[in-house]
Amino acid sequence: MKMIRNSVLRVEGMTKRYGQKEVLKNASLTVNEGELKILIGPSGGGKSTLLQCINFLVTPDAGRVWLKGEEIIRTHKRALYAYRQKVGMIFQDFNLFDHLTALNNVTIGLVRVRGMHKQEALDKAVYELERVGLKDHIYKYPAQLSGGQKQRVSIARALAMDPEVMLIDEPTSALDPELISEVLAVIENLRANGMTMVMSTHHMGFAREVADEIVFLEDGCILETGTPDKIFLRAECERTRAFCSKILELYGNA
Amino acid sequence: MPVTGKHVVDMMESVAAIKEALPYLLHGSVVTMGLVCGAMILGLTLGIFLAVGQVYGGAVLRSVIGVYVWFFRGVPLLVLLFLFYFGLFSLLNINLSAFTVAAIVLGLISSAYQSQIFRGAIVSLPEGQFKAARALGMSDRKSIFYIILPQALRLSIPAWSNEYSIVLKDSAVAYALGVMEIMARAHFVASRTYEHFPLYFTAGGIFLVLTYLGTKGLGILEKKVSIPGYTR
Repeated sequence: MKMIRNSVLRVEGMTKRYGQKEVLKNASLTVNEGELKILIGPSGGGKSTLLQCINFLVTPDAGRVWLKGEEIIRTHKRALYAYRQKVGMIFQDFNLFDHLTALNNVTIGLVRVRGMHKQEALDKAVYELERVGLKDHIYKYPAQLSGGQKQRVSIARALAMDPEVMLIDEPTSALDPELISEVLAVIENLRANGMTMVMSTHHMGFAREVADEIVFLEDGCILETGTPDKIFLRAECERTRAFCSKILELYGNA
Repeated sequence: MPVTGKHVVDMMESVAAIKEALPYLLHGSVVTMGLVCGAMILGLTLGIFLAVGQVYGGAVLRSVIGVYVWFFRGVPLLVLLFLFYFGLFSLLNINLSAFTVAAIVLGLISSAYQSQIFRGAIVSLPEGQFKAARALGMSDRKSIFYIILPQALRLSIPAWSNEYSIVLKDSAVAYALGVMEIMARAHFVASRTYEHFPLYFTAGGIFLVLTYLGTKGLGILEKKVSIPGYTR
């Protein structure tokens, strides 16, 4: 029997249109505590849009979001900013603040958003950067770091805010193959420590190995949701099967 | 034409005229730099607000700023100086010195140009910078202040040093209001001594030196605040 866990994040009826094109159609999902939910599907299928609609970086046309049972009212600015603090976001292209060192990329949110004392923020930032294995790089600027290191800084930046849930948007897509594993290792470690996460990726091997649940998204619709075994071996939906077999063909051992 | 005794005497007279007028003209450069610094600081402060308003503001604010920029870029400096000094300020019964009015007018004009420099820099930043700031829970105001502007202002320095040299040269027009800057002093002495050439030559030379020093200084500033490893 599956353990019943508290839902951390609930998303219902998320819809987004750009002009005539509906890029997200009535997408709903619930993420339980400590769960890693992985979004898969073709590029342009709405994975990024869904993730960015969840913390309202993209304004959805319809849809509601609850964090730990409390609905987020987007127009209520103060509540929105408080909510975003509790939702860590990792971007495909890192989006580190280019004018700040790795250390200050992490402290700025603590000091300017959470109002933490400077020294306390520095201590916490150093701790978070050590956790992602960047002890020796804390005074470097983003332009002096490799892609993998940048992504790990961005993870440290998000973790420092003590998020309830992390939204991770194709964290390895901009990295060369050698650097991918260092980022995936950090994410796997987070999962082992019970972090609640929603992540989109094209890494089927990773998805199959570590995801609690996989969500297949195409043309803005969630077509199928299930355990990795179900999605990869016994998918009900024709499109899911086709997508997975293509990917498996490409990457073999996934 | 052979160099005659008369030429030598002329030359010596010119040198003497320059020597005599130089302290007086140099004192004018203090006034000029006062005008320029005042105008640049006013232009910087207003320009930042205008740029932010133009990029992030609503439709009404954007069009108001558009009109402002259009006005101050479109009307000649001399017209604006007279309009403000003889027109607006006396109409409103505000008693300001010619120096103050000139600095304000130069600053308002510069703010229109500077706003376009900053606007260009802001929109050239990757959209992800703002997104990442918002994702941390920053308000728009904080995102702009802590993330966008520090980067945009760095990018603006080269164009800003260009703006400095333009304001510096424009400041000579303040002579028309009787502000005793470099040009006014050169004219004052020249019209008495008839040593036109050496005096205006010297005045021009002082402007050249001030341009050089300013752009050099801003070049040093640009290097100093550049982000390590960052290239565009």
